Amino acid sequence: MNNRSATKIGIYALILQLLIATFPPTALAGLIQTADAIAAEDRSAARQQLNDALAREDVQRQLVQLGIEPDAAQQRIAALTDTEIAQLRQHLHALPAGAGVLEVIGVVFVVLLILELVGVTNIFSKF
Amino acid sequence: MRAASALLVLALGGCTGTGPVLSPHLPQSSQGIGVELEDTPFLAQTEYQCGPAALATLLQDTGSAATSADLSTEVYLPARQGSLQFELIAATRRHGRLPYVIAPRISVLLEELRTGRPVLVLQNLGLRSHPAWHYAVVIGYLPDSDEIILRSGTTRRKLMAAARFLSTWENAGAWGLLVLRPGELPARPEPGTYLRAVADLESVGQIRAAGQAYAAATARWPANATAWFGLGNSQYRLGELEDAEHSYRQALRANSGYLAAHNNLAMVLAERGCHRTALDTLDQALEHSRPDDPLRRTLLQTRREILQQLSESGGQVDPVCNDTDRQP
Repeated sequence: MNNRSATKIGIYALILQLLIATFPPTALAGLIQTADAIAAEDRSAARQQLNDALAREDVQRQLVQLGIEPDAAQQRIAALTDTEIAQLRQHLHALPAGAGVLEVIGVVFVVLLILELVGVTNIFSKF
Repeated sequence: MRAASALLVLALGGCTGTGPVLSPHLPQSSQGIGVELEDTPFLAQTEYQCGPAALATLLQDTGSAATSADLSTEVYLPARQGSLQFELIAATRRHGRLPYVIAPRISVLLEELRTGRPVLVLQNLGLRSHPAWHYAVVIGYLPDSDEIILRSGTTRRKLMAAARFLSTWENAGAWGLLVLRPGELPARPEPGTYLRAVADLESVGQIRAAGQAYAAATARWPANATAWFGLGNSQYRLGELEDAEHSYRQALRANSGYLAAHNNLAMVLAERGCHRTALDTLDQALEHSRPDDPLRRTLLQTRREILQQLSESGGQVDPVCNDTDRQP
Protein backbone atom coordinates (compact mmCIF):
# COMPACT_ATOMS: atom_id res chain seq x y z
CA MET A 1 0.00 0.00 0.00
CA ASN A 2 1.49 3.32 -1.00
CA ASN A 3 1.51 6.55 0.98
CA ARG A 4 -1.21 8.22 -0.99
CA SER A 5 -3.82 5.54 -0.60
CA ALA A 6 -2.93 5.20 3.07
CA THR A 7 -3.62 8.90 3.54
CA LYS A 8 -6.79 8.59 1.50
CA ILE A 9 -8.07 5.81 3.70
CA GLY A 10 -7.17 7.91 6.73
CA ILE A 11 -9.26 10.76 5.38
CA TYR A 12 -12.20 8.47 4.71
CA ALA A 13 -11.96 7.25 8.30
CA LEU A 14 -11.95 10.84 9.51
CA ILE A 15 -14.89 11.81 7.33
CA LEU A 16 -16.86 8.75 8.42
CA GLN A 17 -16.23 9.74 12.00
CA LEU A 18 -17.50 13.23 11.47
CA LEU A 19 -20.50 12.56 9.31
CA ILE A 20 -24.04 13.10 10.40
CA ALA A 21 -25.42 10.60 7.90
CA THR A 22 -24.89 6.89 8.41
CA PHE A 23 -23.44 4.55 5.82
CA PRO A 24 -24.17 0.98 4.92
CA PRO A 25 -21.17 -1.18 5.76
CA THR A 26 -19.71 -1.44 2.28
CA ALA A 27 -16.06 -1.61 1.30
CA LEU A 28 -15.20 1.85 0.00
CA ALA A 29 -11.43 1.68 -0.16
CA GLY A 30 -11.11 1.60 -3.95
CA LEU A 31 -14.21 3.51 -5.01
CA ILE A 32 -13.22 6.65 -6.88
CA GLN A 33 -15.26 9.54 -5.48
CA THR A 34 -17.19 11.74 -7.88
CA ALA A 35 -15.41 14.88 -6.67
CA ASP A 36 -12.03 13.20 -7.21
CA ALA A 37 -12.99 12.06 -10.71
CA ILE A 38 -14.06 15.59 -11.60
CA ALA A 39 -10.82 16.94 -10.18
CA ALA A 40 -8.82 14.35 -12.12
CA GLU A 41 -10.41 15.58 -15.35
CA ASP A 42 -9.41 19.10 -14.47
CA ARG A 43 -5.65 18.90 -14.09
CA SER A 44 -5.40 22.42 -12.74
CA ALA A 45 -7.55 21.39 -9.79
CA ALA A 46 -5.25 18.57 -8.76
CA ARG A 47 -5.71 18.25 -5.05
CA GLN A 48 -3.08 17.57 -2.46
CA GLN A 49 -4.54 14.69 -0.51
CA LEU A 50 -1.67 14.67 1.93
CA ASN A 51 -2.51 18.12 3.21
CA ASP A 52 -6.26 17.67 3.46
CA ALA A 53 -6.37 16.14 6.92
CA LEU A 54 -3.86 18.62 8.30
CA ALA A 55 -5.78 21.52 6.74
CA ARG A 56 -9.00 20.37 8.42
CA GLU A 57 -7.32 20.29 11.81
CA ASP A 58 -5.83 23.71 11.18
CA VAL A 59 -9.10 25.35 10.12
CA GLN A 60 -10.90 23.75 13.04
CA ARG A 61 -8.32 25.26 15.37
CA GLN A 62 -8.80 28.67 13.75
CA LEU A 63 -12.59 28.44 14.15
CA VAL A 64 -12.17 27.67 17.85
CA GLN A 65 -9.90 30.70 18.15
CA LEU A 66 -12.66 32.78 16.54
CA GLY A 67 -15.06 31.80 19.31
CA ILE A 68 -16.65 28.52 18.18
CA GLU A 69 -17.12 25.61 20.58
CA PRO A 70 -14.84 22.69 19.60
CA ASP A 71 -17.76 20.31 18.97
CA ALA A 72 -19.57 22.84 16.79
CA ALA A 73 -16.34 23.61 14.95
CA GLN A 74 -15.89 19.93 14.16
CA GLN A 75 -19.39 19.69 12.72
CA ARG A 76 -18.89 22.83 10.67
CA ILE A 77 -15.65 21.49 9.27
CA ALA A 78 -17.38 18.26 8.29
CA ALA A 79 -19.74 20.10 5.93
CA LEU A 80 -16.91 21.79 4.02
CA THR A 81 -15.13 20.27 1.03
CA ASP A 82 -11.36 19.91 0.82
CA THR A 83 -11.16 22.78 -1.67
CA GLU A 84 -13.15 25.05 0.62
CA ILE A 85 -11.00 24.02 3.58
CA ALA A 86 -7.87 24.92 1.62
CA GLN A 87 -9.30 28.38 0.82
CA LEU A 88 -10.39 28.98 4.40
CA ARG A 89 -7.06 27.87 5.76
CA GLN A 90 -5.25 30.54 3.79
CA HIS A 91 -7.77 33.36 3.92
CA LEU A 92 -10.04 32.86 6.93
CA HIS A 93 -9.22 36.28 8.33
CA ALA A 94 -9.44 38.12 5.00
CA LEU A 95 -12.63 36.66 3.52
CA PRO A 96 -15.73 38.85 3.75
CA ALA A 97 -17.83 38.08 6.82
CA GLY A 98 -21.34 39.34 6.17
CA ALA A 99 -22.48 41.09 9.33
CA GLY A 100 -25.51 43.11 8.45
CA VAL A 101 -26.97 46.56 8.28
CA LEU A 102 -26.70 47.05 12.03
CA GLU A 103 -22.96 47.29 11.74
CA VAL A 104 -23.29 49.92 9.07
CA ILE A 105 -25.42 52.04 11.40
CA GLY A 106 -22.58 51.85 13.92
CA VAL A 107 -20.02 53.11 11.45
CA VAL A 108 -18.90 56.72 11.91
CA PHE A 109 -21.16 59.28 10.33
CA VAL A 110 -18.41 60.60 8.09
CA VAL A 111 -18.04 57.17 6.48
CA LEU A 112 -21.78 57.11 5.88
CA LEU A 113 -21.49 60.49 4.28
CA ILE A 114 -18.71 59.31 1.98
CA LEU A 115 -20.77 56.21 1.24
CA GLU A 116 -23.64 58.41 0.17
CA LEU A 117 -21.31 60.46 -1.97
CA VAL A 118 -20.07 57.27 -3.59
CA GLY A 119 -23.69 56.24 -4.20
CA VAL A 120 -24.38 59.62 -5.80
CA THR A 121 -21.21 59.34 -7.86
CA ASN A 122 -22.29 55.95 -9.12
CA ILE A 123 -25.68 57.21 -10.12
CA PHE A 124 -24.23 60.17 -12.00
CA SER A 125 -21.36 58.29 -13.61
CA LYS A 126 -23.54 55.72 -15.29
CA PHE A 127 -22.98 57.04 -18.79
CA MET B 1 -14.73 27.43 -7.03
CA ARG B 2 -13.58 29.69 -9.82
CA ALA B 3 -16.21 32.24 -8.83
CA ALA B 4 -15.04 31.99 -5.24
CA SER B 5 -11.47 32.67 -6.29
CA ALA B 6 -12.58 35.68 -8.27
CA LEU B 7 -14.37 36.95 -5.22
CA LEU B 8 -11.31 36.38 -3.11
CA VAL B 9 -9.20 38.47 -5.42
CA LEU B 10 -11.78 41.20 -5.23
CA ALA B 11 -12.10 41.01 -1.47
CA LEU B 12 -8.36 41.18 -0.96
CA GLY B 13 -7.88 43.76 -3.66
CA GLY B 14 -9.39 46.51 -1.59
CA CYS B 15 -9.45 50.01 -2.99
CA THR B 16 -7.44 49.84 -6.17
CA GLY B 17 -8.38 52.71 -8.41
CA THR B 18 -11.76 53.06 -10.02
CA GLY B 19 -14.02 50.07 -10.48
CA PRO B 20 -15.60 48.82 -13.67
CA VAL B 21 -18.38 50.89 -15.19
CA LEU B 22 -21.59 49.63 -13.67
CA SER B 23 -24.69 49.05 -15.69
CA PRO B 24 -27.28 50.85 -13.62
CA HIS B 25 -30.31 49.55 -15.46
CA LEU B 26 -31.92 46.16 -15.33
CA PRO B 27 -31.36 44.11 -18.50
CA GLN B 28 -33.66 44.64 -21.48
CA SER B 29 -35.19 41.18 -21.05
CA SER B 30 -36.61 42.19 -17.68
CA GLN B 31 -38.32 45.38 -18.87
CA GLY B 32 -42.03 45.55 -18.34
CA ILE B 33 -42.50 42.43 -16.24
CA GLY B 34 -41.97 42.73 -12.52
CA VAL B 35 -41.66 39.90 -10.01
CA GLU B 36 -42.19 39.81 -6.26
CA LEU B 37 -41.98 36.51 -4.41
CA GLU B 38 -44.29 37.59 -1.61
CA ASP B 39 -44.45 34.14 -0.02
CA THR B 40 -40.75 34.20 0.83
CA PRO B 41 -40.51 34.08 4.64
CA PHE B 42 -39.19 37.09 6.50
CA LEU B 43 -36.80 36.53 9.40
CA ALA B 44 -35.56 39.77 10.93
CA GLN B 45 -31.89 39.63 11.78
CA THR B 46 -30.53 40.31 15.23
CA GLU B 47 -27.13 41.93 15.76
CA TYR B 48 -24.59 40.86 13.10
CA GLN B 49 -26.78 37.85 12.27
CA CYS B 50 -27.74 38.66 8.68
CA GLY B 51 -26.06 35.47 7.44
CA PRO B 52 -28.06 33.07 9.63
CA ALA B 53 -31.28 35.03 8.98
CA ALA B 54 -30.82 35.15 5.20
CA LEU B 55 -29.92 31.48 4.96
CA ALA B 56 -32.78 30.42 7.23
CA THR B 57 -35.08 32.42 4.94
CA LEU B 58 -34.03 30.38 1.90
CA LEU B 59 -34.01 27.07 3.77
CA GLN B 60 -37.54 27.68 5.06
CA ASP B 61 -38.56 28.69 1.55
CA THR B 62 -37.61 25.16 0.43
CA GLY B 63 -39.63 23.56 3.24
CA SER B 64 -36.88 23.18 5.83
CA ALA B 65 -37.67 23.89 9.48
CA ALA B 66 -34.26 25.47 10.14
CA THR B 67 -34.39 28.65 12.25
CA SER B 68 -32.06 31.63 12.44
CA ALA B 69 -30.94 30.37 15.85
CA ASP B 70 -30.03 26.94 14.38
CA LEU B 71 -28.10 28.60 11.61
CA SER B 72 -26.33 30.93 13.99
CA THR B 73 -24.49 28.01 15.60
CA GLU B 74 -23.63 26.73 12.12
CA VAL B 75 -22.35 29.86 10.38
CA TYR B 76 -21.77 32.74 12.79
CA LEU B 77 -18.17 33.61 13.70
CA PRO B 78 -18.15 35.61 16.95
CA ALA B 79 -14.66 37.08 16.56
CA ARG B 80 -15.42 38.23 13.00
CA GLN B 81 -18.94 39.38 13.93
CA GLY B 82 -20.25 37.91 10.73
CA SER B 83 -20.55 34.82 8.55
CA LEU B 84 -18.43 33.53 5.70
CA GLN B 85 -19.80 32.53 2.30
CA PHE B 86 -18.18 29.10 2.50
CA GLU B 87 -19.94 28.43 5.77
CA LEU B 88 -23.32 29.43 4.33
CA ILE B 89 -22.66 26.93 1.55
CA ALA B 90 -21.61 24.23 4.00
CA ALA B 91 -24.62 24.82 6.27
CA THR B 92 -26.94 24.49 3.28
CA ARG B 93 -25.49 21.01 2.74
CA ARG B 94 -25.98 20.13 6.40
CA HIS B 95 -29.70 20.72 5.91
CA GLY B 96 -29.85 18.38 2.93
CA ARG B 97 -30.16 21.13 0.33
CA LEU B 98 -27.96 21.81 -2.67
CA PRO B 99 -26.10 25.14 -2.56
CA TYR B 100 -25.64 26.55 -6.07
CA VAL B 101 -23.66 29.73 -6.70
CA ILE B 102 -25.12 31.46 -9.76
CA ALA B 103 -23.08 32.98 -12.55
CA PRO B 104 -22.24 36.53 -11.41
CA ARG B 105 -24.66 38.36 -13.70
CA ILE B 106 -27.81 40.31 -12.89
CA SER B 107 -29.63 38.67 -15.83
CA VAL B 108 -29.06 35.24 -14.24
CA LEU B 109 -30.29 36.49 -10.87
CA LEU B 110 -33.45 37.91 -12.41
CA GLU B 111 -34.11 34.71 -14.30
CA GLU B 112 -34.08 32.77 -11.02
CA LEU B 113 -36.58 35.24 -9.58
CA ARG B 114 -38.81 34.72 -12.60
CA THR B 115 -38.83 30.96 -11.96
CA GLY B 116 -39.94 31.68 -8.40
CA ARG B 117 -36.66 31.29 -6.59
CA PRO B 118 -35.29 33.93 -4.18
CA VAL B 119 -31.54 34.54 -4.26
CA LEU B 120 -29.23 35.11 -1.29
CA VAL B 121 -26.73 37.86 -2.11
CA LEU B 122 -23.66 39.35 -0.54
CA GLN B 123 -23.52 43.14 -0.65
CA ASN B 124 -20.85 45.62 0.23
CA LEU B 125 -22.78 48.48 1.80
CA GLY B 126 -19.62 50.34 2.68
CA LEU B 127 -16.68 51.48 0.64
CA ARG B 128 -14.35 49.33 -1.36
CA SER B 129 -11.55 50.33 1.02
CA HIS B 130 -13.75 49.99 4.12
CA PRO B 131 -16.23 47.27 3.27
CA ALA B 132 -19.39 46.59 5.27
CA TRP B 133 -20.47 43.12 4.19
CA HIS B 134 -24.13 42.26 4.32
CA TYR B 135 -26.25 39.29 3.30
CA ALA B 136 -29.77 39.84 2.04
CA VAL B 137 -32.36 37.92 0.03
CA VAL B 138 -33.51 39.29 -3.31
CA ILE B 139 -37.20 38.50 -3.75
CA GLY B 140 -38.15 40.62 -6.74
CA TYR B 141 -37.70 43.64 -8.93
CA LEU B 142 -39.82 46.47 -10.23
CA PRO B 143 -38.81 47.41 -13.78
CA ASP B 144 -41.03 50.48 -13.92
CA SER B 145 -39.35 52.16 -10.98
CA ASP B 146 -36.01 50.40 -11.64
CA GLU B 147 -35.89 48.92 -8.13
CA ILE B 148 -34.85 45.66 -6.48
CA ILE B 149 -36.93 44.20 -3.66
CA LEU B 150 -35.11 42.57 -0.75
CA ARG B 151 -35.68 40.88 2.56
CA SER B 152 -32.87 42.68 4.33
CA GLY B 153 -31.82 43.03 7.94
CA THR B 154 -34.83 44.12 9.95
CA THR B 155 -36.74 45.33 6.88
CA ARG B 156 -39.34 42.98 5.45
CA ARG B 157 -39.66 44.74 2.09
CA LYS B 158 -36.65 46.86 1.30
CA LEU B 159 -36.71 48.72 -1.99
CA MET B 160 -33.33 49.62 -3.42
CA ALA B 161 -32.62 51.51 -6.64
CA ALA B 162 -31.29 49.02 -9.19
CA ALA B 163 -28.15 51.08 -9.73
CA ARG B 164 -27.42 51.19 -6.02
CA PHE B 165 -28.10 47.46 -5.64
CA LEU B 166 -25.84 46.60 -8.58
CA SER B 167 -23.08 48.72 -7.12
CA THR B 168 -23.28 47.03 -3.70
CA TRP B 169 -23.62 43.57 -5.27
CA GLU B 170 -20.81 43.92 -7.78
CA ASN B 171 -18.54 45.38 -5.10
CA ALA B 172 -19.03 42.06 -3.29
CA GLY B 173 -18.14 39.91 -6.30
CA ALA B 174 -21.72 39.61 -7.61
CA TRP B 175 -22.13 36.54 -5.43
CA GLY B 176 -25.56 34.94 -5.42
CA LEU B 177 -26.55 31.68 -3.76
CA LEU B 178 -29.50 29.42 -4.55
CA VAL B 179 -30.77 26.83 -2.10
CA LEU B 180 -32.16 23.95 -4.14
CA ARG B 181 -34.18 20.97 -3.03
CA PRO B 182 -32.44 17.74 -4.09
CA GLY B 183 -33.50 17.03 -7.67
CA GLU B 184 -34.28 20.66 -8.44
CA LEU B 185 -32.28 22.39 -11.17
CA PRO B 186 -31.52 26.12 -11.45
CA ALA B 187 -33.30 28.12 -14.13
CA ARG B 188 -30.33 27.89 -16.48
CA PRO B 189 -27.99 25.30 -15.01
CA GLU B 190 -24.41 24.99 -16.19
CA PRO B 191 -23.61 21.24 -16.13
CA GLY B 192 -20.06 21.57 -14.78
CA THR B 193 -21.02 23.96 -11.99
CA TYR B 194 -24.09 21.93 -11.08
CA LEU B 195 -22.29 18.58 -10.98
CA ARG B 196 -19.42 19.98 -8.92
CA ALA B 197 -21.96 21.31 -6.42
CA VAL B 198 -23.62 17.89 -6.25
CA ALA B 199 -20.28 16.11 -5.89
CA ASP B 200 -19.51 18.42 -2.97
CA LEU B 201 -22.86 17.55 -1.40
CA GLU B 202 -22.03 13.88 -1.88
CA SER B 203 -18.54 14.27 -0.43
CA VAL B 204 -19.88 15.51 2.92
CA GLY B 205 -22.10 12.45 3.27
CA GLN B 206 -25.45 13.68 1.93
CA ILE B 207 -25.63 10.61 -0.28
CA ARG B 208 -29.38 10.34 -0.72
CA ALA B 209 -29.80 14.04 -1.54
CA ALA B 210 -26.86 13.87 -3.95
CA GLY B 211 -28.38 10.81 -5.61
CA GLN B 212 -31.61 12.70 -6.28
CA ALA B 213 -29.64 15.61 -7.71
CA TYR B 214 -27.58 13.33 -9.97
CA ALA B 215 -30.76 11.62 -11.18
CA ALA B 216 -32.13 15.01 -12.16
CA ALA B 217 -28.87 15.75 -13.96
CA THR B 218 -29.02 12.50 -15.97
CA ALA B 219 -32.58 13.36 -16.97
CA ARG B 220 -31.53 16.83 -18.09
CA TRP B 221 -28.23 15.80 -19.74
CA PRO B 222 -28.56 12.09 -20.69
CA ALA B 223 -25.19 12.13 -22.50
CA ASN B 224 -23.25 13.54 -19.54
CA ALA B 225 -20.90 10.82 -18.27
CA THR B 226 -20.13 12.60 -14.98
CA ALA B 227 -23.81 12.78 -14.07
CA TRP B 228 -24.20 9.02 -14.58
CA PHE B 229 -20.96 8.33 -12.73
CA GLY B 230 -22.09 10.39 -9.74
CA LEU B 231 -25.48 8.68 -9.76
CA GLY B 232 -23.68 5.31 -9.78
CA ASN B 233 -21.53 6.35 -6.82
CA SER B 234 -24.49 7.43 -4.71
CA GLN B 235 -26.34 4.22 -5.58
CA TYR B 236 -23.27 2.18 -4.72
CA ARG B 237 -22.97 3.86 -1.34
CA LEU B 238 -26.64 3.22 -0.65
CA GLY B 239 -26.06 -0.47 -1.43
CA GLU B 240 -28.09 -0.40 -4.66
CA LEU B 241 -25.53 -2.40 -6.60
CA GLU B 242 -27.57 -3.29 -9.67
CA ASP B 243 -28.66 0.30 -10.17
CA ALA B 244 -25.07 1.41 -9.69
CA GLU B 245 -23.88 -1.04 -12.33
CA HIS B 246 -26.45 0.30 -14.77
CA SER B 247 -25.39 3.89 -14.09
CA TYR B 248 -21.68 3.16 -14.55
CA ARG B 249 -22.47 1.45 -17.86
CA GLN B 250 -24.42 4.54 -18.93
CA ALA B 251 -21.41 6.66 -17.99
CA LEU B 252 -19.23 4.44 -20.16
CA ARG B 253 -21.74 4.61 -22.99
CA ALA B 254 -21.34 8.40 -22.88
CA ASN B 255 -17.56 8.24 -22.51
CA SER B 256 -15.92 4.87 -23.18
CA GLY B 257 -12.53 6.09 -21.94
CA TYR B 258 -13.82 7.07 -18.47
CA LEU B 259 -11.29 5.29 -16.25
CA ALA B 260 -13.00 6.14 -12.96
CA ALA B 261 -16.25 4.60 -14.21
CA HIS B 262 -14.37 1.44 -15.30
CA ASN B 263 -12.80 1.22 -11.85
CA ASN B 264 -16.06 1.61 -9.94
CA LEU B 265 -17.95 -0.70 -12.29
CA ALA B 266 -15.30 -3.34 -11.59
CA MET B 267 -15.80 -2.82 -7.86
CA VAL B 268 -19.56 -3.31 -8.15
CA LEU B 269 -19.04 -6.44 -10.25
CA ALA B 270 -16.53 -7.85 -7.75
CA GLU B 271 -18.88 -7.14 -4.89
CA ARG B 272 -21.57 -9.10 -6.69
CA GLY B 273 -19.10 -12.01 -6.97
CA CYS B 274 -18.34 -11.41 -10.66
CA HIS B 275 -14.58 -11.22 -10.24
CA ARG B 276 -13.61 -12.32 -13.74
CA THR B 277 -15.95 -9.87 -15.45
CA ALA B 278 -14.55 -7.20 -13.16
CA LEU B 279 -10.99 -8.05 -14.16
CA ASP B 280 -11.93 -7.99 -17.87
CA THR B 281 -13.39 -4.53 -17.39
CA LEU B 282 -10.20 -3.28 -15.74
CA ASP B 283 -7.89 -4.90 -18.29
CA GLN B 284 -9.76 -3.38 -21.21
CA ALA B 285 -9.72 0.03 -19.57
CA LEU B 286 -6.01 -0.16 -18.74
CA GLU B 287 -5.16 -1.28 -22.25
CA HIS B 288 -6.87 1.74 -23.79
CA SER B 289 -5.74 4.29 -21.20
CA ARG B 290 -2.97 6.82 -21.57
CA PRO B 291 0.20 5.65 -19.80
CA ASP B 292 0.48 8.89 -17.84
CA ASP B 293 -3.12 8.91 -16.59
CA PRO B 294 -2.94 9.30 -12.81
CA LEU B 295 -6.00 7.11 -12.32
CA ARG B 296 -4.14 4.07 -13.71
CA ARG B 297 -2.60 3.51 -10.29
CA THR B 298 -6.02 3.24 -8.69
CA LEU B 299 -7.19 0.79 -11.34
CA LEU B 300 -4.10 -1.36 -10.86
CA GLN B 301 -4.70 -1.31 -7.10
CA THR B 302 -8.33 -2.35 -7.60
CA ARG B 303 -7.13 -5.11 -9.93
CA ARG B 304 -4.74 -6.45 -7.26
CA GLU B 305 -7.50 -6.42 -4.64
CA ILE B 306 -9.94 -8.26 -6.91
CA LEU B 307 -7.29 -10.85 -7.80
CA GLN B 308 -6.75 -11.40 -4.09
CA GLN B 309 -10.49 -11.80 -3.47
CA LEU B 310 -10.63 -14.23 -6.36
CA SER B 311 -7.84 -16.39 -4.96
CA GLU B 312 -9.49 -16.32 -1.53
CA SER B 313 -12.77 -17.49 -3.01
CA GLY B 314 -11.03 -20.43 -4.66
CA GLY B 315 -11.38 -19.15 -8.20
CA GLN B 316 -15.08 -19.94 -8.46
CA VAL B 317 -17.11 -18.01 -11.02
CA ASP B 318 -20.69 -17.07 -10.35
CA PRO B 319 -22.61 -18.35 -13.42
CA VAL B 320 -25.01 -15.38 -13.22
CA CYS B 321 -22.17 -13.05 -14.13
CA ASN B 322 -21.94 -14.28 -17.69
CA ASP B 323 -25.50 -13.12 -18.30
CA THR B 324 -24.67 -9.63 -17.19
CA ASP B 325 -21.38 -9.53 -19.04
CA ARG B 326 -22.52 -6.91 -21.47
CA GLN B 327 -20.26 -4.49 -23.20
CA PRO B 328 -21.06 -0.88 -22.40
